[in-house]
Amino acid sequence: WDDEEDDEDDVDDTDDLDPEAEYAAWKLRELKRIKRDREAIEEREKELAEIERRKNLTEEERKAEDDAFLAKQKEEKESKGKMA
Amino acid sequence: MATHRADEKRFLDERGSSGPLAPNGLNPATIMEKPVRERIVDSYFWKDQCFAVNEADIVDRVVAHVRFIGGTYGDAQKPSPFLCLAFKLLQLGPDDDVIQEYLGYGGEKFKYLRALAVFYVRLTRKAKDVYLFLEPFLEDKRKLVMRTRTGRRLTFMDEFVDGLLTKERMCSTTLWKMPSRAQLEDEEKLDPRVSPLGDIEDLLDSEPEEVNGGGSEGSGRSKSP
Repeated sequence: WDDEEDDEDDVDDTDDLDPEAEYAAWKLRELKRIKRDREAIEEREKELAEIERRKNLTEEERKAEDDAFLAKQKEEKESKGKMA
Repeated sequence: MATHRADEKRFLDERGSSGPLAPNGLNPATIMEKPVRERIVDSYFWKDQCFAVNEADIVDRVVAHVRFIGGTYGDAQKPSPFLCLAFKLLQLGPDDDVIQEYLGYGGEKFKYLRALAVFYVRLTRKAKDVYLFLEPFLEDKRKLVMRTRTGRRLTFMDEFVDGLLTKERMCSTTLWKMPSRAQLEDEEKLDPRVSPLGDIEDLLDSEPEEVNGGGSEGSGRSKSP
């Protein structure tokens, strides 16, 4: 397992060659993670809000919304069909 | 540990059916997938360096031989020393005190030891403990070499830890499905994570400048008067 370790120099994992840049790079990664996590939470909250909204509609309103959605879906499908 | 035998029969042949389970309830002998286990047991590194090894020897092995993280690599899908040692840890089943030493004091000195320990913790500990053990190392910005089937690339400890917390598969091993952090927070098993960067609201407001300002903001300089 050690036999091929000599061609290792293509990736260097020495730390603290440029501490400032390394800190900045880490900070960017950390910010991206925070952003990603927040977006996931927002997404989830949006979904819950939507479910809640639908629950509070009357049966007819829900039906109307579904029909509109299905009609739109169908329309999209047909226009796709024409292009092909 | 009492269940570790030199002949390894119990672990490899009986697949841990008579041994203790990991703290998260999984059988340590089957956490890695069968083809990977077979490659590990067949490998020269396993036979030569992982025989009759205890928790302390693991440290020596990591320091002497682990130069990259990864699962199986290359066209031949060779198991990495990292993976072999992780498999050994599954067999040894070190307890939390030992893990803390790997992660803390040892991990400060030897980054690949910490990488091995976080990987092991992710495979064997309960979800809450995984978050508690691993999250402090989202601050660890040290570089690691990751070796995959196609070659080597640079990664970082924080990126590796984040991958373990969010991905489904790392280092040729399927990570067991953990509840998300948000879920555990909702159940009040975990407190919200505080980033070492401080208050998140402030950060997100000022994010664009900070990102562009890159390396200089550590010194407190600002471009605009």
